[in-house]
This record gives sequence, C-alpha cells and structure tokens, in this order.
Amino acid sequence: MTDLSSALTLSAISKTFGPLKAVDSLDLSVEPGALVSLLGPSGCGKTTTLRMVAGFDSPDSGTITIGGEDMTRLPPNKRGLGMVFQSYSLFPHRTVGENIAFGLRMGGASKQVQDGEVRRMLDMVHLAGREDMYPAQLSGGQQQRVALARALVVNPRVLLLDEPLGALDKSLRESMQFEIREMQQRLGITALLVTHDQEEAMSMSDKIAVMHGGRILQLGAPNDIYDRPETAFVATFLGNSNLFEGRVRDGVLVTKAGALPLPSRPAAETATLSVRPERVVLGDDAATLPQNLRGRITAASFRGAYAAYQITLDGSGTEIIAYRQADTALGQTSLAAGAEVRVGWPVEHGVIVTGSAPKE
Amino acid sequence: MMPTVTLSNGARRALLLAPALIFLAVFFVMPLLDNSARSFIREGGFTLSRYTDFLTDRFYLGVIAETVILSAAVTAISVLIAYPVAYVLVRKAGGFSGLMIFFLIAPLLTSIIMRTFGWQVLFARRGLVNQWLVNDLGLLDAPLRWLNTPGLAIAALVHVLVPFAVLSIASVLQGVDRRLEEGALMLGASRIRTFFEVTLPLTVDGIGTGAILVFMIANGSFVTLVLLGGGFQTLPLLIYQQFNTTRDFALASTMSTILLMIALACLWLQLRLLRRQGV
Repeated sequence: MTDLSSALTLSAISKTFGPLKAVDSLDLSVEPGALVSLLGPSGCGKTTTLRMVAGFDSPDSGTITIGGEDMTRLPPNKRGLGMVFQSYSLFPHRTVGENIAFGLRMGGASKQVQDGEVRRMLDMVHLAGREDMYPAQLSGGQQQRVALARALVVNPRVLLLDEPLGALDKSLRESMQFEIREMQQRLGITALLVTHDQEEAMSMSDKIAVMHGGRILQLGAPNDIYDRPETAFVATFLGNSNLFEGRVRDGVLVTKAGALPLPSRPAAETATLSVRPERVVLGDDAATLPQNLRGRITAASFRGAYAAYQITLDGSGTEIIAYRQADTALGQTSLAAGAEVRVGWPVEHGVIVTGSAPKE
Repeated sequence: MMPTVTLSNGARRALLLAPALIFLAVFFVMPLLDNSARSFIREGGFTLSRYTDFLTDRFYLGVIAETVILSAAVTAISVLIAYPVAYVLVRKAGGFSGLMIFFLIAPLLTSIIMRTFGWQVLFARRGLVNQWLVNDLGLLDAPLRWLNTPGLAIAALVHVLVPFAVLSIASVLQGVDRRLEEGALMLGASRIRTFFEVTLPLTVDGIGTGAILVFMIANGSFVTLVLLGGGFQTLPLLIYQQFNTTRDFALASTMSTILLMIALACLWLQLRLLRRQGV
C-alpha cells in the first residue's frame, strides 16, 4: 500500500545560521514507504535538515518536494506531515484522546470520526482505554506511543522522527525501535528519522545517511555502510574501526605498524585501511594471516556477548582494538592483559577509506 | 578564651528573626489590630453594627462596586496590553530581552507619586500634550481637558500596573515548550489556532497570577486617583476622606477592614491558583 505521492526529495538544500553553514547543498531522496535515517554527531546538520522538511526553518536555497509537489515555502501546517519529538510534546492540558484527535479536529473531522479513530489508534499502540488519562499519568514509553498515534492518525505523507527514543531508557528503547519500525512498515509510510544513536539507525532504517559538517558523507543500507565505509569518519562513527594510514607501494600499504596487504589497489598514493575490531584475529589463529603483526594486550574487558581487547603493537606502538565472541569453549583460555599475541585479519576484511582518523 | 554560648537551633532561629518580627509587630500588626478594633467597638462594647450599616447602604455598596469595577477594568486592559509585550519579551526579543526587562522595571524604581505627577505635567491644560496638539501640530483649536477624566486616570493606573502583569505572564510563557506549538503546527493548526489551542491555555496561570496582582494593587490605589481625579469614588478615596475631612475614624476603619478582606480574598484565590499549578 505504498503511496507514490509520498516520495520525499531534498535537492541541493543549504542553510546558514550566521557564520555557520548548518546544511551544505544536501541532496537526499527517500523512496515511498522507506525509512531513512540521518545519523551524525551533534551539529552535523541533521536536525536542521529535519526542521526544514517539517517547515520550521526554510532553506536559503534548494527545494524540498513531496510526491513531486514543491513544499519548500509551505508553512508546517500545510505540509500534511507527521512528527514525533524526542520530548513527546504531548499537550499537557489535554487528555490522551484529545491529543490524538487534535490533528483530526484541525482537519475538521466530525466528533464521531474523531472518537472512532482515537479508539483505533489506541488499539494499535496497545493503549486501549486510556483516552481519558492525561499525558503526565503515563510512563515515558506510553507517552511516546501516544505521540506516535497522534502523528499517524492524520495519515501523514511523511513521518518525521526527531530522536524519538532519546528520552527512554535502554531496554525500552530497543523494544520501541522494533515497534515503531514494524508499524512504519505495516502502514507503508515514508519516514525520516534523525538520530545520533548508530544502533537505533541500524536497527530501524532501510537506508542510513551519515552526516558530517552539513553534508551527507555516505548513504546506503545499514550493513552496506557498516561493511563498506567510504571515509574514515564513517568507519569510526558507525561502529568502531582500526585505521592504518600509509603510502601505497607495490600493492601493499606501508604504515607505521608495518607493510599491510590491501584488499584492492587504491588509486591514490596514500590510503587509509579500516579494519573492524570484530574482524581482528588474535593468537594462534592469526599465524596463517599475512599481516604478521605481534603485540601485547594492554587492556581486556569483558562485555557479556563479547570481550574487547586493546593491543599495543610491537615496534610501532600502534594501538588497535579487537573484539572476540564470548565462545570460549571449555578448555580454551581467554586472553588476559599482559599476554603477547599474534594479530591479523583476513585481507578481504580490510576496507580502504578516504580521509584520516578523526583527531580525538 | 572567649566564652562560648551554645544555642539550640530553634533559639538561634528565633534570635535571627526577632528584629524583623518585632518591627512587623510594632509597625504592622499592632496598628492593624488597633484599626480594626476601632471598627468593632462602640461605647465600650463589641458591635457589628457598622458593618451591617455599611453593607446595607446603597451609597457605600455603590462605592464598593465602583472600586471593584474600576480595578477589573484596569486589570483587563493591563492584561490585554501585557500579553503581547510578554510574548515579544520571551519569544522575539532574543538578546534584547534584558534591555526590555530593564525598561519594564525601571519605572517601578521611581516613586508612584513622581510618576503620577509626570502624567499631570504631560496632560495639564497647558501641558506638553496639549502644547503639541494645539501649537506644534495644529490638530486642535483649543486645548483638551485631560485631567479629571476617567480615561486618564485609568491610563495612568494601567501604566503603573502593566509591568506586574508582563512579568507574571512572561515567567509562565518562558516555561512553555516551543515544541508543543510546533507539534500543533505539524498537526495542521494555523499559527493563530496554535496560539489559542496551546499557548494561551498553557499560560492561563500566568494571566491569572498577573491579573490578581494587578487587581489587588488597583483596588488599593490611591495616589493616582487623588492626583489625576477622574470622578471616581473608590474605597481608598473614601477612607482618606473619612480620616482627613469627616474625621469619622470608626467608619474609616470599617472601610479599610472591608478593603483588606477583598485583598485577602484575592490572595486566597491566587494561592489556590498556584496550588493547582503545582499538581
């Protein structure tokens, strides 16, 4: 039931606040029924972008269209969008039912229609029978579900989610991620999610747009971006990464840590190799790998499902991070701080990225 | 060695409060009691007759009504003027909000008598305003009579009282989450509709507090009405007359007790409003 009239397109939109270029000639298109996340650190322009789509800010240049219709200069109340805020933003002086009916009432729906729709939405968000309660009487998760119902009841063309789970605690956040995603897919509604939480972005999105400095650095499916980051920034912002910078010579990367084989031949003379911590192999298993690195474990921490190790490489002193699944079968000793280990990774698990490691 | 004196917490608190309490007792509570006692005592015995006489007299009831109506009018005008000012102060002034608050509060630093004299100087028969209208702009042939008109007295009262309403409304408006308004806009409400559906209901407490404050002060206002006239016959003016002209102290006491009761009723209302807010 995806509706072609709900495709969202941003073309070359820019927004400057004083000396700050918040959004810099950004292009993005969201297919009907898809959920795209804008992911990035604070100040990357993701919130400004969302606010321009909502109509609260207007771009200095560029156009925003929904279903081919130019929305750029339309006020927020004329755009027919739905929005869920981090702080829920339920009207505290109105009941749950009145909150949900608000959009219908503004649209001139009859009282019967309003009542019916409120009941239907409350059923959908598992809050049947709470219409006469006030928002303050509900828990955070329940309030967010009401906010979702309030945004969805008007059948918005696009649903905007502004850090919708930021105010919830971790366990609730995870179940709400599934719930919102499931509902969005079932209704086939186009959605734009703003978040700084990479887990949230990865578990909820069809596509993630990683933003930095007002631009989209990379756009793609979550696993695509995770496995094939194009820049050092993306490699370290989405997940963790070991970055090796060096010069390319005879198909290998000459780095401080030594000569490292590359998965492919880079065009440039210098390159950065990104290796995910979970791809790093430690101990005897690394003996057959081509990197031939050795180091000392300087820190080991148990993290439940896996263990994280910090290793200082011999000679160069380069520090790398490695994760190992907690599959320590009986008889196999887990590695401890102070141990000398071999370090390596299958060559094809390294990714060549542009840019260098962000300075801490 | 200094001799040390140990006091219990209660004793220390009492000692610290004593100067203020003694001052209040001597200069506030005792005169108040003495004043109201005068209204209840006739020929050495207790009586309520002054109150029953006063509250059944059409003239005096008229005075109470006029006092309340004048205060209500001043309150309504003040709140209507104050709301937009508070809105600009909180929402639009940005870096200028400090300056705006200064301009709001600065008049309060001048004595009310001086400010009222200011109105007299401006609006006297040969005052600045008439000078402009007649001589400089040539809009009028003869000077207008401003002083002793009800409009000017009300305007002067509003001028004095608007800052109180602005500050009460602004403090509540400050606490309204802008995203609530954005939420309403997203749901299809126009800006005006958003104001009446969301902003205004959420600032009702500020309006209430400001209104009660203005009403109470207007109710007891005296200097402005004495100096600018306007033909109003209010309780404070009548009390002044009884003390200084008729010298019927007992009647004056009766009236001031009634005025005090009206003020207390307002305070009670305000407290109720605040308590509701706390829920």
